[in-house]
This record gives sequence, C-alpha cells and structure tokens, in this order.
Amino acid sequence: MSTPGYHGCYLRVDVTSGESQRIAIDESALRNYLGGSGLGVYLLLREGAATADPLSPEAPLAFVYSPLVGSPLTTSAKFAVVGRSPLTHRINDSLSSSHFAIAGKRTGCDALLVVGRAKEPSILIVDDGQARLEPAGALWGLDCPAAELQLRARLGADYQVAVIGPAGERQVRFATISHDGRHAGRGGSGAVLGAKNIKAIAVRGTQRTAWHSPAELVALAKQLSEKSFGPATAKYRELGTATNLLVFNRLGALPTRNFQQGTFAGAEALSPEQMVLGREKTRASCAACTIGCEHIYGLRTTGEKSAGVRMEYESLFALGPLCNVGDADTVLAAARRCDELGLDTISTGGTIAFAMECVERGLLDEPWLQFGDGPSLLRAIEAIGRREGLGNLAAEGSRRMALVIGKDAIAFAPQVKGLEIPGYEPRALQTMALGFAVGSRGADHNRSGAYEVDFSESTDRRRPGLEAAHAAVETEDRAALMDSLILCKFLRGVFVDFFAEASEMLNLVTGWNTTPAELRQTARRIVTAKKHFNVLAGWKPGEDTLPARFFNNPLPGDPAATMTPAGLQALIEAYNTARGWTSDGYPSVEQLSGLGEVVP
Amino acid sequence: MTVIVELFGVARQCAGVAKTEAQGARLGDVLVDLAGRFPRLAAECIDGSRLRHGYLANLNGARFIRDPATVVAPGDSLLILATDAGG
Ligand code: SF4
Repeated sequence: MSTPGYHGCYLRVDVTSGESQRIAIDESALRNYLGGSGLGVYLLLREGAATADPLSPEAPLAFVYSPLVGSPLTTSAKFAVVGRSPLTHRINDSLSSSHFAIAGKRTGCDALLVVGRAKEPSILIVDDGQARLEPAGALWGLDCPAAELQLRARLGADYQVAVIGPAGERQVRFATISHDGRHAGRGGSGAVLGAKNIKAIAVRGTQRTAWHSPAELVALAKQLSEKSFGPATAKYRELGTATNLLVFNRLGALPTRNFQQGTFAGAEALSPEQMVLGREKTRASCAACTIGCEHIYGLRTTGEKSAGVRMEYESLFALGPLCNVGDADTVLAAARRCDELGLDTISTGGTIAFAMECVERGLLDEPWLQFGDGPSLLRAIEAIGRREGLGNLAAEGSRRMALVIGKDAIAFAPQVKGLEIPGYEPRALQTMALGFAVGSRGADHNRSGAYEVDFSESTDRRRPGLEAAHAAVETEDRAALMDSLILCKFLRGVFVDFFAEASEMLNLVTGWNTTPAELRQTARRIVTAKKHFNVLAGWKPGEDTLPARFFNNPLPGDPAATMTPAGLQALIEAYNTARGWTSDGYPSVEQLSGLGEVVP
Repeated sequence: MTVIVELFGVARQCAGVAKTEAQGARLGDVLVDLAGRFPRLAAECIDGSRLRHGYLANLNGARFIRDPATVVAPGDSLLILATDAGG
C-alpha cells in the first residue's frame, strides 16, 4: 500500500527495445524529494545520468508528477521534465502544466522515465501503466499545435499529449516540449526527446491516488482558492506577466539590444496595456487553476480567431526589446512561430539578438539580420527551427555560436552556463545577477526569485549588501519546494508562511507529519542534489559568473548600475557560505550523505 | 507639496491614468490624497495611509519604499506597482 498522494513507483521505458518496467520508489525517497523537480533530480542521480551525453540514447528524460497533482489545491496540475540539458550540459528541470499532469499521474506512476532511441520516429503511449510505441508517421514534421490536434484525433480525446515540434526533431538545443500550448520551455528537453526519435508522449489512465484527509484537504483547498482571488495575484489575472514591461522599462531594467541598454523607446506600444487596444484578447488558465494568468492576444495582421498568442513577459522582452523590435504584431507573430516550432522564446530571442550584435560589429556576415527589423527576426526564427543557413549555428545557442565566431564574441553572448538570460537586466537588479550566476541550470528566473530581493525596501538593487545573498537563498529554497510539490509560483504572494502552509497541505495529502523545518531541509536537500548532479557533470566554480559585458560597464543613462567582478564574487561566496557549501561552491561530505542512497 | 505619481499595471487600470500629481510630504500623505481622488485605486491598492499587500512604491526609480512615514520631496516621482515581479 503506497503513501497517499503517491503510487510509489516510476515507469521506466526503454524506447530502443520498447520494454518498460515499474520500479519502486521507497517512502523515504518520496519524503526527501517530494515530486516534480526534486524527485526528478533524485531519479536522474539514481540513473547515473550526470555524465551521459544529453542527446545520446543512454540519457534519461523524466516526466515527474507530484503528490499534489489531482488534488483540489489550486494550480497543482503541473509536471516537471527533468534531464541533462543539451544546451548547458547541467541539470535541467522545466515545468509545464495542465491535463497532461493529471492524466500522467493516473497512469499509475509518479514519474515516467524515458531512455533509449526508437528505431523510427515514434509516439510513446502510456495507457493505464502499459507502455507501447507506435510509428509517428505523418505526425513527424508537424508543428506542435497540429501534432497535438492530430494525435488526439487519432488516439481519442481521453489521451493527453505532449509533443515536440520541428525544432525538437532537429535537436535544436533549446527546443521545448508542448502540451496544450504550454511549454516545458527552458534548456532543450525537446531536443532530448527528438534525439530519442519520440515525437510525442500520450498518456491516459484510471488510477487515482488516495488522500489521507480528504475533508480537511477540500476545506483547505477552498480557502486557498479564495485567497487566490485577492490582490497578491491581481497582476496575473488582470494583465498577466507582460505588465512587467513598463515597470522594468521605468526602472532601467528592461534588457534591450542584446543587453546594451536597460530601456526601450518602444516599450509603451508593446505593453499589454496598449496591445489590448484594437485587438481581441481572451484569458485562459491551466487545469485546476483559479488564477488564470494566460492572456491571449489576436493578431491584427491575420484577423483569424484561431491566431491567438499567449503573451508572457519573457517572450515579449526577448522577441521585442532584446531584438529592438517594437511592432506588436511582429512580436506576437514571432512568439506564435516559436510556439509552433517548439522553441524556447527566451533562448531564441537571446540568440538572435546576439547574432544581430555580431552583424553590427562585423563579426558575422549576415547583413539581412539587423536590430529592429521585424522580418529578419521572423526569418531567423524559421531558420533556427529548421536548422537552415545561419539557423543551424544559432540552433546551438549563443554560447556555442560565440565560440565558433571567436574574437571577443563570448563577452557579449547573453548566457550563463549556456542558458540565455531572462528579462531582468543584471546590472539594474544585482541580487538577480547573483541568482543567474549560481543557478543550477544557468541564467534562470524560475529556480531563483532573487529579483524579489531587488524589488524590496531592504536592498539597494544596484548595490546589494552581502545579506542579499541570504535572501536569495531563501527565494531559491521556496522555489525548490514549490517546484517539487508542485504549486504555481504565481500563487506565492498569497502565503503568509509558505513552509508552514506547504507542510499542512502535504500532510493532509500524504498523512505524513512534516514540519516547516523539515520542508526547509527538504528544499535545501533538493538544491544541493542539483549541485551534486552538476559537480558530477563537470561543474567548476568559474562557471558561476556572468558574461564580461556586464562588468565595469554601467548601463547607459544609469551610472549607479555598475557591476564589478569582485562585487559579484563576494555575493557568490556569501551565497555558497549561506548554503553551507565551501566558499567556492562544493557541498560538504555531510550534505552529500544527506542526499540518501543516490550518493554512493 | 506636489509629487508626481506614476502608476503601473493594475494600479494604472484602477486609476484610469498613467500619471498624476498628488500632495503630501510623506508616502502616507500622498496615498491618502490619491485614495480621495481615485476610489477604485483606493479599493484595490490603498488601505488608509498604506499600500495593500501586493503593492509597492518606488521613489524616483531608485529606492523601493513602503513605510508611510517615508519623506518625499517636491517634484519627486513616486511609482506605484505590483510587488511581484515574476515573469
Ligand atoms: S497562474 Fe497561470 S501558469 Fe500558474 S497555474 Fe494558473 S494559469 Fe497556469
């Protein structure tokens, strides 16, 4: 009898042979790693995945559910896709949402782990715990939305599907996995699936997990839903994440022209406040969510009702200001094309903006690719998704591209550990700069919420003291717990004491007696497990840094926004010390032994 | 004493303007003045002389402030925005 909330096993499918195995996960591992990102890194360590080439058959890719999936708790219908990133060669955990999580868990396992390489392009079908492969046939080559639609038409609407687009098939290193238009976006999980010759995974099932205290859980879920309608989430409900654009622009924190500026002259026209004028806009949400942060805009150029585009701040910044493109319809079309091809919008925009600057500096002979030129942005996206011409090099991401170009290109390639930097200008938000530098999967605003420290009265965002490192650790710990339970981060503002409230939820589902202190330890264990994975994968302290462009080079118009290598290094050491690691970032022997049997 | 108030996101939606002027020598006074003139803004973002949970102020694009006693100077720009900068 497994713990309530869990099935107590994962399904390991070898797509080379087509064989599958249910492998037990003992309760102590579930309690130590919970689900989602945490359980994912545990499974990867257990599989010895840190040294496998991410695009080789040996590399595992795990789809991990969580104890809260299927519960009435708002925003809990989420899953993590965890593997070694082909972009960074470090741990990669990208999250996605909705019915795939619910149906996947109902197949009767807490995770689906895929290894091998199918002999032909295939679909992996998991039907109530039974796995089989079918030829992908005509689905191979289709864009994400068409592939999802056709596969569900073929298998039946009771299947939920996750697919890759042409970018994943061609192993673009920042290809995504799409489910119902939402993407497990960062780090190239789509390329890993493409390298396995798997176009799509389809899941359905009937196996529900029990809850330990159903009546109390339902009551708690009701309270949480009520709180989710309050002011802490109003931003997401009313305007969505895109409303960051004008705020960041006003603060000089909006990355523009490949991080050459912190403000964008065309920001007002691109803002959701303006974009909504004269075009259709609808709102949507993931399954089991009471917030509904998705704002979907129509394209004025096509006028098609079906042409709606989910517009998030990160897509907007990366395909707009970062490339110096200010035409809203072009940016919407660019975001839609990325979604169709299955491309991470941040890495796509970052790599194209980098290429544009290379052209501007005479390092790349592609005169058609210019900052501010919408048609060349769209052409570049298409070329990357199909690995054609310059797109073949850009499909490798900005770091590899810079190393091929040579000269000093690596100094302004907008990446950390190979992952392109999200829309938070590091010099204007220097606690976030720390978060980017130490991030286990590279420059990352999802696993570290260090920008919260910059957006507070306790810190000078352009000159944070060392105490900011402690606050950054706190945001990372909370994110580790949210990503493992899993709950949506847009809910975080409604919690007064997150660790205590999380403990209550988890106990009602599982029957455990976790305490807030235990969950804090759990979060720290998960962060350390990711670090351990990275050390095994070849991590060295020198990669916890930012591109040279950000040092001793103030933001134009904001001399206070200056960062020095020594200043960042001091924050990094304070961060490492706060984690209990050595000052250069290695976990202690004692911490490694706390990871459990995954450390021999 | 007049300060310039810049509103962002939901605060802008509620006030119906992107920018306005307000009177006050401290953050709390400015908020009281705004609340008197923009009832929807008051309902969503302001509680007496304080910003409600979920909202934050920034002085001149530099320092984030929340304490109603914070002194503001004539001509200062006071930004009102959501606390959560998640993207
Ligand atoms: S807040 Fe947005 S991302 Fe989070 S679960 Fe709801 S709809 Fe999905």
